[in-house]
Amino acid sequence: MEDNRPSVLSVEHLSKQYKKGVYASQDVTFDVKEGEIFALIGPNGAGKTTTIRMIATLLKPTEGDALVGGCSIKTDPAGVRENLTYLPDEAGAYKNMKGRQYLRFMAEMYAKDRSQVEGFVKEAEKICSLGDRLNDKIETYSRGMTRKLLLARTIMSKPKIAILDEPTSGLDIINALEIRRMIKVLASDGMSFLLSSHNMLEIEYVSDRVGIIARGHLLEVGRPAELLEKYKADNLEDVFELVVMKKDITGW
Amino acid sequence: MKFASLLKKELREMLNTQTIFMLLLMLFMMYGMGGMLNKSAEKASEESSRITICDLDDTKFTQSVLMFLEHPTSDMQNEVKTVTLKSDDYAAELDRLDVNSFVIIPEGFTDDINNGKQAKVTYVSRMTSMSMLSNVNVGSETALQLITSAVKTAMYSDFKNRGKLTDDEAALIEAPVTVDECTIVRDKSENISQLILYSSLYSRSLFMPLVVYILILLGSQTMINAVSAEKLDKTLETLLSAPITRLHVISAKMLAAAAVALLNAVVYMIGMNNMNLSPTGDIGEEYTKMIEKLGLVFDFRTYLLIGVQMLLTMLISLSIAMILGAFAKNIKSSQTLLLPLMFVTIVPFMACMFLDISTLPGAVRYVLYAIPFTHTFMASDTVMFGKTELYTAGLIYQAVFLIICMTIAVKIFTSDYIFTAGEFIGRRKKKKHAEEDQ
Repeated sequence: MEDNRPSVLSVEHLSKQYKKGVYASQDVTFDVKEGEIFALIGPNGAGKTTTIRMIATLLKPTEGDALVGGCSIKTDPAGVRENLTYLPDEAGAYKNMKGRQYLRFMAEMYAKDRSQVEGFVKEAEKICSLGDRLNDKIETYSRGMTRKLLLARTIMSKPKIAILDEPTSGLDIINALEIRRMIKVLASDGMSFLLSSHNMLEIEYVSDRVGIIARGHLLEVGRPAELLEKYKADNLEDVFELVVMKKDITGW
Repeated sequence: MKFASLLKKELREMLNTQTIFMLLLMLFMMYGMGGMLNKSAEKASEESSRITICDLDDTKFTQSVLMFLEHPTSDMQNEVKTVTLKSDDYAAELDRLDVNSFVIIPEGFTDDINNGKQAKVTYVSRMTSMSMLSNVNVGSETALQLITSAVKTAMYSDFKNRGKLTDDEAALIEAPVTVDECTIVRDKSENISQLILYSSLYSRSLFMPLVVYILILLGSQTMINAVSAEKLDKTLETLLSAPITRLHVISAKMLAAAAVALLNAVVYMIGMNNMNLSPTGDIGEEYTKMIEKLGLVFDFRTYLLIGVQMLLTMLISLSIAMILGAFAKNIKSSQTLLLPLMFVTIVPFMACMFLDISTLPGAVRYVLYAIPFTHTFMASDTVMFGKTELYTAGLIYQAVFLIICMTIAVKIFTSDYIFTAGEFIGRRKKKKHAEEDQ
C-alpha cells in the first residue's frame, strides 16, 4: 500500500568519505514520512551514526544531500536545525545543572520567545515525569532518569523530526519500554522519528519502516512485516543476516 | 608474589607514557635552563673583570690604586678603563661611555686618607631588570671592593709604622671608604642602591610571573576540561544540532573563559598590590619616594599595560586549550594534550625569574620571544624599565598569535574536525585491533 503522507526527511545519495577512500557512509537514500517511525539498523560501525550526524548538520556530506522539512543540509543547515532535534547515543547533560534548569536552557535554544520557553519546559516536565527530582542536580540522576530527561528535551519543542541514536541503550527493561511507548504515542500525534539501533528486536516492535545498513551501505528498506515475509525469517536479526549474505558483503 | 604483582601493576599505572614524557621534558628543560644560567654566570664573571673608573683626584696614590685594580693578585687581571666625565648627568654619561656602571674617585680622596678621614667614592649603575641574575655584581662594583682593599693596605702599613692605633684609627681601618650609590633607571637617577631597590621590588618581580603562570595553568585546564567534557558527554553534539550558530557556541565559551580569566587576573593583581605594600613601607618613606621618582611603582598605567598582556596571554592559552580539547579522546588524554602547553609556559617563566631575557644571546632570545607568554612574563620589566619597543613588539606579536589561534579554533569548531579530530589519532590502533578481531 502506497504511503501518501508527505516526506519530512528525504535522504538522497548521501555519502561521507574520510581520508584515503574510507567511506563511513555511501550512497544512502531513504525518506521518512510525516508521523512515521523510521529506523536504521545495523551493527556497530555500520555507518548509522555518520548518516545521522550528516542529517543533523554535524558532519558535512562528501556527496549527496538530505532535505529536512524542505531545507537542504548543504545549503540551509540553519533551516534544517529549526526542523529537527537530535539525541546522540549515550549523550549526557550538564551535570552541574538542575533538571529543570537544563530543560529551560535547551528550550531557550529552540524557542522564539519567552512564552514558548515556558511552554516547552512544561511539555518536557510532563514527558519526563521526573516530578520534584527536576529540582535536583543532574549529577544525582540515574542513567534512566538522565535518558528520560534528554528524551523530553528532544521532543518538547515538537520538531518535524526527532533523531534518536540508540534511544534505549543502557536502560533497564521498564525504562526502555516506557520510552518506546512514548515514541509511539508521539508519532501517532504526527511527529516523525528517525531511530538508530543495533537492537533489532526493539526496532521490530517500535518502527513503521526499517533500513538495514552495513559497512556504510543501505542494503534494504521496508516494513518489518514485509521484510520478515520477503526473507522468510522469524525476526529482523535473521533478516539482517540474510540481507548481508545476499548482498555478498560479508568478509569486508 | 601477590605483593610484587600489585606493586608492578601500581608502577605500570603510575609510570605511564604521560609521566615518562613529562619527566623527559623536565630533564630537557632543566638542561636548557642550566645552560642559559651558566652562560649568564659566565657573562657576569667576564663583566666583573671590566672596570670603568673616573679618577677626579688623580694623585700618585689613586694612580697606584688603579694599578692595583689592574693586577690585584698575581693570577688576576682586570680590564680597567679610565674615563673622564663631561657632565653630572650620569644617565647621559652611561649612554655616552656605553657601560652599565662606573666608579668616581672624587677630588680630595687622597687628602681624606692622609688626614685619617673616611674617603668617599661614588658608584653609578644602571638598573635594567628585576630578574635575579641581572642584579649580580658587575665590574665597577668589584672595583669598590678592590679600592677599599687597596686603601686598607696603604693605611695598614702607615699605621703600622706609627705604632699603636687609637680607637678612631682602628674604626677607620675597618671601613676606610664609604660609597655613595647612584642608581639610574631609564633617564632618572636617585641616590639609592640597586640592592635596596631590588629588595623592595623583588616580591612583586617574583610574584608577577608566578601569577601569569598560575593563570595560564588554571585557564587552560578549565578550558580543555570544558571542551573535552562537552565533546565526550556529547552535549556538544546536542548543542551544535540546535538552531544556533557554531560561532555563538565557541564565542560564548571563549567569552566566559576570558571573563573568568579576567576576574582571576584582577583578584591576583589586587592581592599582589597588597603584598607589595609591606616591603616598600619597611624601607622608609625617603626610599619609597626615591623609588617613585625612578618610576618603579605599580601605578594605574603599569597595571593597565601589564593587564593587557596578561589578558592576551590568557586568551591565547584558552584558545590553544580549546584547540587541544577538540583532540581529546577522554579526560586522561586531555591532560596529556596539555603537556606541550605547560612546557612552553614553564620555560619562559623560569627564564624570566632568573634572567633578563633581552640580554641573552640571539638564538636563545628569539626562541624565547617566539613563545607568546614570554612577553607577559617580561611585562613588569618592559613596562617599568621603559623598554617600550620590546613591550609594543611583544603586544603586537601576542595579538597576531591570538588571531591565528582563534582562527584555528573557529575552523575546528565549524568543521567536521570537532567530531573527527580525536578519532583520527586512535584510528591506526583501532584498525589494528579490528584486524586482530577478524
